[in-house]
Amino acid sequence: MKRILARNAPGYLFLSPWLLGFFLLALGPILASLYLSFTRYDMVSDPRWIGWGNYEYMFTRDRRFWKALEVTFTYVAFAVPLRLAFALAVAMLLDKGLKTIGLYRAIFYLPSLLGASIAIAILWRELFSATGVVNQMLALVGIEGTDWITNPKTSIYTLVMLAVWQFGSPMLIFLAGLRGIPKDLYEAAEIDGTPRWRRFTRITLPLLAPVIFFNLVLQTIDAFKTFSSAFIISNGTGAPADSLLFFTVYLFNEAFKFFRMGYASALAWVLLIIIGVFTALAFLSSKYWVHYDNDRD
Amino acid sequence: MTKLTRRTLLGTMGVAAAATALPRLPAMAADRTIRHFWWGNPNRDKRTFDVIAAFQKKHPDIEVSGETIGWGDYWTKMATQTAGRNMADLVQMDYRYLFEYTRRGALKPLDEYIGKTLMIEDFDQGPISGGKVDGQLYALNIGSNSQVVTYNTRLIKEAGVEFDPINWTHEDFARVCEAVTKASGGKIKGCDDLSVYIEDAEAWIRQRGNEFYDADGNVSATVDDMSTYWQHWADLRAKEIIVGKERTLTLDEALAERGIIKGDAAMSAIWSNQVVGTQALMQDEVGAAMLPHLKDGKPGQFIKPSMFMSLSRDAKDVDAAIAYMNDWVNDPEITAILGLERGIPCSAKVREALAPNLSPVEQLTMTYFNAIQDKVAPLPLPAPKGAGEVRDSFRRTASEVILGNMSAADAATMFIEDAQSIVERAR
Repeated sequence: MKRILARNAPGYLFLSPWLLGFFLLALGPILASLYLSFTRYDMVSDPRWIGWGNYEYMFTRDRRFWKALEVTFTYVAFAVPLRLAFALAVAMLLDKGLKTIGLYRAIFYLPSLLGASIAIAILWRELFSATGVVNQMLALVGIEGTDWITNPKTSIYTLVMLAVWQFGSPMLIFLAGLRGIPKDLYEAAEIDGTPRWRRFTRITLPLLAPVIFFNLVLQTIDAFKTFSSAFIISNGTGAPADSLLFFTVYLFNEAFKFFRMGYASALAWVLLIIIGVFTALAFLSSKYWVHYDNDRD
Repeated sequence: MTKLTRRTLLGTMGVAAAATALPRLPAMAADRTIRHFWWGNPNRDKRTFDVIAAFQKKHPDIEVSGETIGWGDYWTKMATQTAGRNMADLVQMDYRYLFEYTRRGALKPLDEYIGKTLMIEDFDQGPISGGKVDGQLYALNIGSNSQVVTYNTRLIKEAGVEFDPINWTHEDFARVCEAVTKASGGKIKGCDDLSVYIEDAEAWIRQRGNEFYDADGNVSATVDDMSTYWQHWADLRAKEIIVGKERTLTLDEALAERGIIKGDAAMSAIWSNQVVGTQALMQDEVGAAMLPHLKDGKPGQFIKPSMFMSLSRDAKDVDAAIAYMNDWVNDPEITAILGLERGIPCSAKVREALAPNLSPVEQLTMTYFNAIQDKVAPLPLPAPKGAGEVRDSFRRTASEVILGNMSAADAATMFIEDAQSIVERAR
């Protein structure tokens, strides 16, 4: 016991800044929000206990709650696979042992650094507006574009594109993963005359599975939490016609616009549970498709 | 060993704490400070900071810190500060939010200062009483306004169309829209699409002899009120004589987004105090018209307190805050800086003092204001809790009609149901 503690102490020491932050800054608000989710709280008068009232309203009467789920799930379903595929494709292109690899990595990572910023969201809104650059380019090839942002049928896909464009961080992780695949496997396959596609499906994908899994979990969580871009592009309301009513945007509106902190807290816990369930599903499924090196022992 | 580390650590933390505490020490003799928080635009912000400078010159012992932000974010920040018990001492208040904030206990009544440090007894009592909740004054009227259809005089002239800006009807309005659109070859439309503004619909409902909310705070507007309203706008839209959906759906509250300023419409609906701000952003001269009337209908629009100043629950130096408030509505230098930008002042003395020095556009506002006095309906009853959310729902539902996803009649049914359940839930 003592030995285990001694062995782990450095680990905890290194974790301590994070642990301190968690216990001092995060745990309190988290517990408070759990309590608030069972109350009616308008931020000015004191919270009033209403039991399961918020949750009951959410699931039985709140039309916009279901709309918010629909929008968020649609986004996750498109943005996560597309972003991962794009990140992997770029990572494989970069994994060719170029001398200037550092430079390219930095350039390709740039959108991810900018991605969360307000400026990019505003830029995105302009790009896809009726007279924006996108439509001007489409006009050059004779296609008449719609107003991508104000059309409820297309607005969410502009956000999916924004997500795909921010492929930097999964790309870096993929790149590191690709470096870890022994080159002799490819050489052997090449000598055997294995076509490129089969090399990809039979060597790259299986050996990269742990990294793909890691990225999948991370990106899914991230996608569920998407807020700032949707908030900016929809003017904070989920407009047009609630087509950009992301779960977090809805939550924000309930909390800070309509002063329903209790209800917003309940929404936050439902989101947490949804993310938890999806992460758990990913872990359960990983048994069937993710194999780690030490499995062979 | 561990002991030493801990002590060192505590020592370091102590130094760090002391270091952060240092800048908090009062640096100046002006130990009385008040915070003033308002929603603004560049012009208003400049005027307000000038007022603060003038006030501080008069009261060197009081330091005023001004905080400003756009309307959209104002209420979010306000709610957060209220929850954090960190409201500014003086906050700008709106008629729509006054009752929510007062009934939640966020504001202090002003009655005890009237006649002592707050000299407003000789003000017009009608506009002043707009700041009363349950018999007590919680908000000081710092200007009155009314709805106005502001128009680009050059475009109207070029279209060769004439109308009476005070006594015109919805038919006249459509005629003007058509003429402007035709004269510009379709490039410039008659007006913004107002069907996303609940304020415009409210006037329509009142013209039909109804009210949006009744005395008990229930939704009184009917499906018929709403479907005729949205159908009226759908007809204008079908003729393509109002601004198109791409612009309407992205239109936010900012003044600069209005068609008259963007240049793609001849008319936009705003509040009368915004005429000054609108003219400041335009080359062409603007005019002011009432919201169009319903033929043989009742008056729809109304004069309301455009903005209030309220004393917050968290105000510490109440005397300093009241002194600031008093100068805001009485001091000749300060009222001159403010002009009519926040609305028409309710002190006759101040209005008289301002009259000789009014700019042409301020003159226009004043003339308009005088002309509508006997054409308006009384101030509607204060909106119930949840009114802000009803406004959002209105906009959402109107968007569905504009996009063609819903007929005016279906949208009306859905909206009225929605509004009823929102008000119900907010109780």
